[in-house]
Amino acid sequence: MARLSLKSVEKVYGNKFKAVHGINLEVEEGEFMVLVGPSGCAKSTTLRMIAGLETVTGGEIHIGDQVVNDLVPGKRGIAMVFQNYALYPHMKVHNNLSFGLKLRREPRDKIASATQEVSGILEIEELLDRLPKQLSGGQAQRVALGRALIKQPEVFLFDEPLSNLDAKLRASMRVRITDLHKRLREEGRPATVVYVTHDQVEAMTMGDRICVMKDGHIMQVADPVTLYERPANSFVAGFIGMPEMNLAEAVLTLGNTPELTIAGQTIEVASELAERLSGSEGTVTLGIRPQHLTVEPENAAGAFSGEITNIEFMGHEVNLHVDVGDNPFVAVVQSDRIDRQLRRGDRVALRPVGSKIHVFDAMSGENISLNYSNN
Amino acid sequence: MGGDSKYLGLWYVAPYLVGLLLFTAFPFVSSMYLSFTDYNLLSSPEWVGLENYEKLFTRDRTFRKSLTVTLTYVFTTVPLKLVFALFIAVVLNYRLRGINFFRTAFYVPSILGGSIAIAVLWRYIFADTGLMNMIIEMFGGEGVNWFGEPANALFTITLLRIWQFGSAMVIFLAALQSVDRSLYEAAAIDGAGRWQTFKSITLPLITPVIFFNLIMQTVQAFQEFNGPYIITEGGPLKSTYLLPLYIYDEAFKSFDMGNASAIAWVLFVIIMVLTLVAFWSSKKWVYYAGDKRS
Amino acid sequence: MKQFNSLQNTASQHEKSAHSEASSRRRRNISAALRYSLLAVFGLIMVYPLIWLVGASFKSNSEIFSSPWFWPQEPTSQGYVDGWKTSTPYTFGHFFLNSMKIAIPKVIGTAISSTLVAYGFARFDFPGKKILFAVLIATLLLPDVVTRIPQYLLFRELGWLDTYLPLFVPQWFAWEAFFVFMLVQFLRAIPREMEEASRVDGANSLQTLIFIVVPILTPALVSVCLFQFMWTMNDFLGPLIYISTVENYPISLALKLSIDATEAFNWNQILAMTVLALTPSLVVFFLAQKSFIEGISTGGVKG
Repeated sequence: MARLSLKSVEKVYGNKFKAVHGINLEVEEGEFMVLVGPSGCAKSTTLRMIAGLETVTGGEIHIGDQVVNDLVPGKRGIAMVFQNYALYPHMKVHNNLSFGLKLRREPRDKIASATQEVSGILEIEELLDRLPKQLSGGQAQRVALGRALIKQPEVFLFDEPLSNLDAKLRASMRVRITDLHKRLREEGRPATVVYVTHDQVEAMTMGDRICVMKDGHIMQVADPVTLYERPANSFVAGFIGMPEMNLAEAVLTLGNTPELTIAGQTIEVASELAERLSGSEGTVTLGIRPQHLTVEPENAAGAFSGEITNIEFMGHEVNLHVDVGDNPFVAVVQSDRIDRQLRRGDRVALRPVGSKIHVFDAMSGENISLNYSNN
Repeated sequence: MGGDSKYLGLWYVAPYLVGLLLFTAFPFVSSMYLSFTDYNLLSSPEWVGLENYEKLFTRDRTFRKSLTVTLTYVFTTVPLKLVFALFIAVVLNYRLRGINFFRTAFYVPSILGGSIAIAVLWRYIFADTGLMNMIIEMFGGEGVNWFGEPANALFTITLLRIWQFGSAMVIFLAALQSVDRSLYEAAAIDGAGRWQTFKSITLPLITPVIFFNLIMQTVQAFQEFNGPYIITEGGPLKSTYLLPLYIYDEAFKSFDMGNASAIAWVLFVIIMVLTLVAFWSSKKWVYYAGDKRS
Repeated sequence: MKQFNSLQNTASQHEKSAHSEASSRRRRNISAALRYSLLAVFGLIMVYPLIWLVGASFKSNSEIFSSPWFWPQEPTSQGYVDGWKTSTPYTFGHFFLNSMKIAIPKVIGTAISSTLVAYGFARFDFPGKKILFAVLIATLLLPDVVTRIPQYLLFRELGWLDTYLPLFVPQWFAWEAFFVFMLVQFLRAIPREMEEASRVDGANSLQTLIFIVVPILTPALVSVCLFQFMWTMNDFLGPLIYISTVENYPISLALKLSIDATEAFNWNQILAMTVLALTPSLVVFFLAQKSFIEGISTGGVKG
């Protein structure tokens, strides 16, 4: 186990395209760090640079106390689990597992005991004599996991390992991976993990900390709760959380009564919030999570009125889609708290919970309603 | 890959690089040089400038004959071979059972055909008392003097080459089979007939393969050696004396390396010109589906 | 009344559609029958020379000239016995061995060098790669007529005349671009992740090539070896230029010798030898038919 540091790491391709823009990231020893973001955000590229499968065109990558930029992947102390498993098709499972050890010329008994141990942990003992093509998706992924585990690397790298599995398998593999991480920590050999996924649910449930990326930039690095409650910008706010946070253009006026106006409708803003927003008058982006809206009758005070465009009955909850002027909003309400007679076209009002309102700078997306120095 | 030298790939490609220089580039350049010399292996090459070429084009009757024969041969066999290959490929491109059997039957001649063994067989088949005449007589005709008449002799080697259309056919067949069936269904809905569909849909889509086969076949046809050498020995009266035979005789029988190189270069230039013409014309008639090339 | 009429209409419509279904099926059957007969007739004509060849090799000399039918009335292996002895001090077996002495180093050299070079092109970026690859493709089309004479002079300088060296040494340098190209195409279709996993496991590029890539590349390599073997067995011009002593003749030259030998050909001998000369190629072809045609289609169409 070792620390991983990325210092001003950059990736520029031959055709001058800059995929990764000078990012800085510290992953603590034994930490489970998730890189998440939409496709094209360069999370895989970053992972592959850590692995050594892509060359680093700027900055430094440290594993432990070594700068690994010029080291081949095999000498960096890393192991990787690929999206497509990448098992060696012509080798039996046990040879797939031990290939790396054999290259290091480990003694045969050590290889045998390591193979035993790993296959026990991952419950693949009966599969040892099979060829990869005889394995199911889940089995293959466990073998890939085993191949990484057996090397006892400094850093584990995962490149969207669950994307090729069906939903049910994905859920059980998620648990298996996090259990493994916990178990290794308890046994005194904590594993440093960098895990890439595009699925924010995976990110939120697995990561100690999450690094949200967009277009080769890091948008925020924080633990799941912080990311959810205190997103640093509108991108992170919109990316984390299901359904997405409602983001709408609004006008902020400060003065005797600070107010936010959407589609001609105005609500008051709490004074603590107004304090933090001083100097930001004008057009802003309002953010409020669907779960933080209550449904009121039309024209209720402190609420925005609009027309219902869709009602989705989710069982325990109802997703209510309301257009406030041109702005689409979604409110998530418990189904026993909502009027069952509501239909599309009806008009209602949505009241935001004052303390949960986020205000983002309209240009930069920065969250100006949070004050980090005040915790 | 991190840590790999950026020259690593060069090491793997090195054998090719070395071989290219030794066995292709250097001979290529020196053969051009030789064509401007008089060299008979007994003494060093003597520079004679354009004399070899001048002799070829003004005073060498054999060369003129050989050139004519070669061009006739190529412009006969290549189109015919391609037509047969395409025709049989189209016939085979049907959900027939046993398609593999037929495909093999047509393909086998082309894998054996270039060999001297088949050339020997051919020599027998067209002998005066050979198989061909026996069949003709069986049908009541008169035996033909194949190797005594120039036209007949040329026919025998032409037939040999066309007989080997299997290799081109296999490539056509693969191309035909890769055409999306839904295009044919759309055409059928539009009311297109069989020939119309073939002309407007199938043919355009396989033009890259036609182009490829055209080039490969032309280049190969110009270099035909085994057949004429064994079967007709270039005769009668040099009526099957293809240029490769002339080059061989000049180089390895007369040991006139200079002249042989000159003839080789003329042949080479002809091939290159035709290839370039084909490439240039391909822009007009070759259609690359989904390809961003112009 | 209307109802009855519409019932009638439906009935006749059914008839009509059943009719047209049947007639289109008939059309399809006729079409298939036409195709089959065309293919059968044409195929037979194509293959008959070979069938006839095998049959004739088992006939006596006089019987060959008597009828175009391939089946021997009085089968005899005399042609083979006499042909084997050949009119030289050496048996056919000797010449066959010579052919193998050329073919085996040539095939091995081709396989190894083509793999290395294809790996270099398919998996690495290096300065000059684009140009070199363009040259590779250009040499695919290039007629080698121009290079033969200087090559001869080169090998003459090296003292390699009348040896097999000129016939297989160039292949150790991936001289035949066709095979490199074919392997590059195959490699392009193989996902790189397994090789990446291998590098992460600690293998260097050469170990990755040997332990991971080559096993996966095997079908293509088999095609390469078979193609090269067949082409070598049939190669005539190469040996003709370089081999001068009868003792060193491969079967292609030995066959030529047998025709030159006498005016009054002993055709049954010659035909028997011809069959023997073709047999290795044919055997090799049929043993690996599938990978063969896959190989040529992938290499050709995807070019």
